[in-house]
Amino acid sequence: MAEARKSMIKIKPKKYKTGDIVKVDFIVIHPMDTGLIKDKKTGEIKPAHYIDNITFSFDGKPFTTMKVWETVSTNPYFSVNFKVPGKGKITVDYTDNTGEKNSKSKKLKPKD
Amino acid sequence: MKRRNFIKSMMAVSAVAVTPVALMAKEEAKAKKKGPNDLTVEAAITAITGGKEVKKSDKIKLTVPEIAENGAVVPVKIEVDHPMEEANYVKAIHVLNTKNGNARCVDVMLTPANGKGYFATRVKLSSTQEVVALVELSDGTFIKAGKSVKVTIGGCG
Repeated sequence: MAEARKSMIKIKPKKYKTGDIVKVDFIVIHPMDTGLIKDKKTGEIKPAHYIDNITFSFDGKPFTTMKVWETVSTNPYFSVNFKVPGKGKITVDYTDNTGEKNSKSKKLKPKD
Repeated sequence: MKRRNFIKSMMAVSAVAVTPVALMAKEEAKAKKKGPNDLTVEAAITAITGGKEVKKSDKIKLTVPEIAENGAVVPVKIEVDHPMEEANYVKAIHVLNTKNGNARCVDVMLTPANGKGYFATRVKLSSTQEVVALVELSDGTFIKAGKSVKVTIGGCG
């Protein structure tokens, strides 16, 4: 089984209350290969390998979905806003074109 | 410590990624390889809107660098001045480009829970071209904004 990918969810600002709109940044280590470039060492085309779908959920309920293409930079960064409904967990589920599935979560702890 | 190591490893990987991708653009231009996802911006817009009229709108604040030092990592930020209420909200933000083989970068489907019509990412641009933000509102209308990014590959100025 493949190693889980390294990724990070950052919430900005660090201190927030219920009802505040925070910034949710998601960064993941991924080559985002287009399938058009040759590997310098082997001379072979590196097959396309890129994240293609992302779902952001809060306590299991999706609030943002993304269709991602190979034109996005390597080790991609995605940022959206989210209105804090209260204490709970943000989960980012993502897949890539090889069928690899991964997930990352972060708890929201509003300082009410 | 864990976080610091994570950021370090990310930076190391990004540093390695820079040079090959800068050369990539030149190689790609020579080879004119066709990718399976290739689509022109006109075709992408038609596919997304179903042929509906799309007007340019000041409501969209599109932030991109005038000159991209590195075409492999071009920051794009989109902010739409529009409510995010149950009956009236920014339904989707489509980030497109005008000269890559595949004009599509990201399709972001938002909901009122987002609070604001905002999205940011970093994209690859093969050459000097426009980044286009195509926005769909919940009433089914489309608006857009576009900005040119000058891409200098390798070296200064």
